Amino acid sequence: MSVTEERSWTARVRRRAVGALPPEKLLPDRQPSYVASWIYVFGVLSLASLVVLIASGCILATKGPGWWHVTGIGHFFNSIHLWSVELFFFFMVIHLWGKYWMAAWRGGRARVWMTGAVTFLVAVPCALTGYVSQQNFDAQWISTQAKDAMNSVGVGAFFNLLNFGQMYSYHVLLLPLAVVGLVVAHILLVRKHGVVPPFDLRERVSQEPAREPETESD
Amino acid sequence: MTRRERRSLDVDRYREWKGAYLPYDIVKEATIALGAVLALCLVLTILLSSPDERPSTVQSWARTDPVDFVTTATTELDGSSGTGGYGPPYNHASVGQHIAFIYLQKWLGVSHPVDTARDFVLAPLRSITSQPLLHAAVTAYQSASPAQQAKWSGAYEKGLAKASSTPGGAISVPGSGYGPLPTLMGGLLSFAQSGGLDGALLTNRQFYQTDYTKPLLLMADGGVLSNRAHAEHLLGTQWGMMNETGSYPGQVWLWLYTFWYQIKPFATSDNADILVMAVMGVLSLAFVLVPFIPGVRDIPRWIPLHRLIWRTHYRTLSR
Amino acid sequence: MAAVFNLNHHASYVHWHFFQMAVANVVVIIVMLAVFIAAIVAPFPGRRGTHADREA
Repeated sequence: MSVTEERSWTARVRRRAVGALPPEKLLPDRQPSYVASWIYVFGVLSLASLVVLIASGCILATKGPGWWHVTGIGHFFNSIHLWSVELFFFFMVIHLWGKYWMAAWRGGRARVWMTGAVTFLVAVPCALTGYVSQQNFDAQWISTQAKDAMNSVGVGAFFNLLNFGQMYSYHVLLLPLAVVGLVVAHILLVRKHGVVPPFDLRERVSQEPAREPETESD
Repeated sequence: MTRRERRSLDVDRYREWKGAYLPYDIVKEATIALGAVLALCLVLTILLSSPDERPSTVQSWARTDPVDFVTTATTELDGSSGTGGYGPPYNHASVGQHIAFIYLQKWLGVSHPVDTARDFVLAPLRSITSQPLLHAAVTAYQSASPAQQAKWSGAYEKGLAKASSTPGGAISVPGSGYGPLPTLMGGLLSFAQSGGLDGALLTNRQFYQTDYTKPLLLMADGGVLSNRAHAEHLLGTQWGMMNETGSYPGQVWLWLYTFWYQIKPFATSDNADILVMAVMGVLSLAFVLVPFIPGVRDIPRWIPLHRLIWRTHYRTLSR
Repeated sequence: MAAVFNLNHHASYVHWHFFQMAVANVVVIIVMLAVFIAAIVAPFPGRRGTHADREA
């Protein structure tokens, strides 16, 4: 390492990034042999739902919030957006159940769990701001009811559910940015730490580290 | 071995997999997942579409239920409406909700001031032109003493309980001693039925407006939204937070949040919202911190569902 | 664009003591549980690697 590289912020950032996530870890073409259950597909299904969610949201955004009320094609994309939200929560919760029962925070993976949990907790208000941006009766009802919860904890003083402009801004920009940022962090942490190994069934018997199979039989 | 040493050994034990790997195509998997989700969304869209019930307006409310509209407007005038007595962030009429000594609603202050008498009744009436009798009634009301105003509105509210709507869209309130209130409310009702009140509540401060606080607060103080919500099973007491209009699936992920509102002490408390938010706040924090909570983090060990998930791996090991 | 099945009508509800839930939501929860169980129980196609892919 040259003196210039030692002083260079760029070189330091690059070294840290590539050290944590070399290309083979970022885009692996192999997985541990124990990754052999359908429960493992729910993470990527959640991610795929998020992609469809954002894409359909972008299409709705190109024509503005009133478009879907007045055209069939607008209503079509609104439906895609709604069902991708339902699927996003559907797959994300099943993914969460799987990861809990696998105790996927083991082996120094607490931040993987935590980023995933916070993603869920941020997705809920992101969905709420979407529901109150619909500009229909559902939006009127949800906003006038949920405002009481926000006001009770003082959040209503700066987050006004009855202010369509503010809610729309949170929904199409601020909260999706937060969700995407958290999902990226979550995925990079999974790539960095690897998928959590199975429990060692001899945990209680011995305090020795887990014995992994040296070769894959059959 | 101390507990800390045992935990540290545990972390090392599962940190890195040193065993066998198998080929895996992550890009292909992501592409297939995207295709599958897109196909599912398309199928659900074609089969079920999505709900879109038209919003209520102050105009539609005033036309279909003029008695409820006038009753609500009268409570706005004397400050006895929901918004009138709400407290922050709309006014100082109450301290709002609290837990013990924590008054977050009060501490964050009045950031969206709403004077219900001025904003919902008197200012809109003043904006109507060429109505000298109406303006005289407004002046008569405003120049009366607070005690006289309360007497008029109290009597009028009692009369409204027996009121009925007339074929022309107006209302008929039996009794007398209401002062200028029948003129005020008659003028406001006509204004609302013509659509003028919707506009006045929205654009009275500036042309471009996206803040629907005032018209929504006015409608929420009456029965127009809650009657529709009751029919659609959207009320809090109907577990409505989870529901969607029509027969569509709703927000199933809110099940635990709405659950608390159904049971005591939350169901009967004036501070239900802050109490439920506090409980959910604690549970959300616990959810994030599961890896650090003894007991909760050990349940997967005690109930070994993982043996089913990793049965192929364990079978391979045992061979 | 009309849907094949029109869900814009009053929903049916499941009532049990103080608990009530729309049938659509009950269906979603049951399907989630069924999918979770199926995902854990269903056999996963075995993957075979070459000797070169396997590492000690």
